[in-house]
Amino acid sequence: MKEWLADLHLHSLLSPCGEIEMTPHHIVMRAAEFGVDMIALTDHNASANVAPAIEAAQEFGIRVMPGMEVQCREEGHIIVLFDEIKQLEDWQRQVDAAMQPLANDPVRFGAQFIVDADDNFVAEEERMLLAPLALSAEAVVETCNRLGGICIAAHIDRASYSLLGQLGFLPRDLGLAAAEISQRGIEELQRKALQPLTGGLPYITSSDAHRIEDFRQGPKTSFCLAEPTVAEIRLALRGEGGRCVKPGCYIGKKT
Amino acid sequence: MKLQKIVEALDLMVATKNADLGAEVSGGYASDLLSNVMGQAKTDMLWITMQGHQNIAAVAALLGLSAVIVAGGSHVEKDALEKAERNSVVILTTDLPAYEVIGRIYALGVKNEI
Repeated sequence: MKEWLADLHLHSLLSPCGEIEMTPHHIVMRAAEFGVDMIALTDHNASANVAPAIEAAQEFGIRVMPGMEVQCREEGHIIVLFDEIKQLEDWQRQVDAAMQPLANDPVRFGAQFIVDADDNFVAEEERMLLAPLALSAEAVVETCNRLGGICIAAHIDRASYSLLGQLGFLPRDLGLAAAEISQRGIEELQRKALQPLTGGLPYITSSDAHRIEDFRQGPKTSFCLAEPTVAEIRLALRGEGGRCVKPGCYIGKKT
Repeated sequence: MKLQKIVEALDLMVATKNADLGAEVSGGYASDLLSNVMGQAKTDMLWITMQGHQNIAAVAALLGLSAVIVAGGSHVEKDALEKAERNSVVILTTDLPAYEVIGRIYALGVKNEI
């Protein structure tokens, strides 16, 4: 069993709001420097920078969970994570089919860049990624679970794009594995106030960083796992088999 | 004002089966944030939204709303309709945009006491 300091909600420069410095190679390099063992690159409705991150991470020994921040029809954000890039690619095809035909305006919303593992420019994503898919929250969670993934309601404590805010409460049978809280210093407070509305879901904290400084300063979650897989994370969230999860961790304060 | 009169005036489609349109409408509320609706809408109000998730039925039942109008041709999930029918919640739909729906209902004289 090993303790993994994890940040499972990060944006690369493929997200319209992601800074140019958020290249896959730069993110995994800084993760190693910060002592973060496991990350997920979760761009809005997109995943083209995940494979480059996995490739770049080999050099640094960082585990990159293939992931995405999905915007469902109800305009709530859901973090989905998989074990293998193949599963994420299968999911991406469903996302592509459910995307509205809107073009991104790089000047107003920010440009969306795809790069390779060495930070070389590959392409600019021209579709508007920060937009709701024609898929309900139920459809997103059900499909990702069926593909072998795990689903986490993102930043439920925020005013915008929170599934909890959009839906008022999280239905117990939705199939979510956890809820994410993103702000600093409010963990216990939020947990107590929000837990009845989340149907008692366990919670994690992530940085939701769009720039390196936010990645450095933002909250992480420590997982005690035998290996960094979806199945192990599920065990940890349920507190089973000696696995455990500890939200509210920060760089330099690893315990 | 009776719900039936509003349904007829705006030519709303009644999406839920066996809907009782005899309810008295006391006012209205408009929001797509269900957390906000839960805190602000009052009993017997009509709620105008673009959300079609099953939780609209739960929120309407919780608050005792007279009906939910899903505007703008927005999709209503099948399980939302089923949940509404089980809880005697009336869901109405229209292709009219929310602004137009609210304006027409207000013009009929349905106003909140503020």
